[in-house]
Amino acid sequence: MGEILDALLAPLAQGFVLRALGAGLALGAAGALLGVFIVQRGLGLLSDGLAHATFGGLALGLLLGATVDRAIWVALPFTVAIALGIQYVRRRTTLGGDVATGVFFAVSFAAGILFLGLRSARSTPVNVEGLLFGSLLAVSPESLAVILAVAALVVVVLSWIGPRLAYATFDPELAALSGVPVAALEYLLLALTALVVVVGVKTVGVVLVSAFVVIPAATASLLGRTLGGIALLAVVLSLAGTAFGLFASYHLNVATGATIILTLGATFFLALVLRRR
Amino acid sequence: MTTALRARGVTVELGGRRVLDDVSFEVARGEFACLCGPNGGGKTTFLKAALGLLPLTAGEIEVLGVRPGTSGSAVGYLPQAKAFNPTFPARVVDVIVANRRGAWPLRVSAADREAARAALARVGGERLLDAVLRGLSGGELQRAYLARALVNEPALLLLDEPTAGVDARGRAEFLDLLAGVSAREDLAAVLVTHNAAAVRRLAQRVVYLDGRVKAWGPPAEVLDREWDRAAFSGHDHDAHPGPLCEDE
Repeated sequence: MGEILDALLAPLAQGFVLRALGAGLALGAAGALLGVFIVQRGLGLLSDGLAHATFGGLALGLLLGATVDRAIWVALPFTVAIALGIQYVRRRTTLGGDVATGVFFAVSFAAGILFLGLRSARSTPVNVEGLLFGSLLAVSPESLAVILAVAALVVVVLSWIGPRLAYATFDPELAALSGVPVAALEYLLLALTALVVVVGVKTVGVVLVSAFVVIPAATASLLGRTLGGIALLAVVLSLAGTAFGLFASYHLNVATGATIILTLGATFFLALVLRRR
Repeated sequence: MTTALRARGVTVELGGRRVLDDVSFEVARGEFACLCGPNGGGKTTFLKAALGLLPLTAGEIEVLGVRPGTSGSAVGYLPQAKAFNPTFPARVVDVIVANRRGAWPLRVSAADREAARAALARVGGERLLDAVLRGLSGGELQRAYLARALVNEPALLLLDEPTAGVDARGRAEFLDLLAGVSAREDLAAVLVTHNAAAVRRLAQRVVYLDGRVKAWGPPAEVLDREWDRAAFSGHDHDAHPGPLCEDE
């Protein structure tokens, strides 16, 4: 038994696996906590839209001469600005969040393609596939530090605003009457989501990053009865799914990000079957 | 007589349309007022302005002597049932404690739980304490929300068509409940309603609002108007401002 466990955990002896595990767990926890609010607000597509906006931000960074690793410092403000723009349109027009997200997503992604095309022919070639699908096992110490900082920021801020944000999620009108700054908290939620999505793109890519936000929270929502319980369950499912997916992908020699997302997806479908009717 | 709510020349424009025009009336402390009028007459708009949720274009509203939105927990609000997110994982105890704390309770303390239980007991709904909100009937839901509105011992209750969408039995029970609460509590209330039975049963004062205040006074005085008699007797009232309230 001990030998089997040793063999299963053997990958941890390698630094790049430890970094991948740290990045995955941090992203999983932060994404799951944000996801509880995103899912309850019916904004599941938002994180997907922000991930595509991140592509535009990274491409802008590359156009400005940054490396892929450093382009994240352009993508961060770019994506946060897109998130705030989506929220502005949601609040100031009668358009729904899905419409606002769809417009910003398409424009940002198109801009990203344009930015990549505008780079000079002598620029270092960019691995677009790497941007789209990410590479958790290639997380650098610098990227890991950024991911851990963003995750810590999300946890600290949500610990502070979570109960009021939850009240505003339940009923913005009643929350406002109780003195909750509803609009400010909504902008903050979207900005935090943008931060997590941007740093997540480096690990699992544009296409899959929103799964970290949506799937654990959606799964927990199927099973939980209270918001606190759902938040706790979402984090536990996300951490367990991330760790399991990482080790499984290592031993099976398959794509890490995809295995993690498929693991999280499997828990969702299991919850669909097990949920109380 | 001290005043719970005073409106002076209140005008509200929404999307370029004047919804309220020079509305003035008062509700005394301890008084139960019904706000009636046709759909689109500005009843809910007035209530939201009194809560500080909508800005006034002109005029002023005093709520318990201060500006709307600044009287804090002294005002209890019961919105229409349709205003709530039905998919949110909420229990009745959470909803009541949220109003007490001003934040959603991720854990409910013993003191908060006792306060919620006491508020529910006042509306005969103790058994609903741990019930999940989305499993409640319309009548149970409004009973829970009335407990929520009462938990902070308000001096003024604002109720926006609380029985809309509730079946006839539930409406009758809720009227009994409001009658009990208003008799027991030294609180003023403003009830937006289309329900004539509610007006007859509860109102000490009736305000008929159709953009402007068309009538304001004791029920016997207002209900005795020619156009109102026509509304209740089923006569043709095309020439009149519209039905005061509708029998349901």
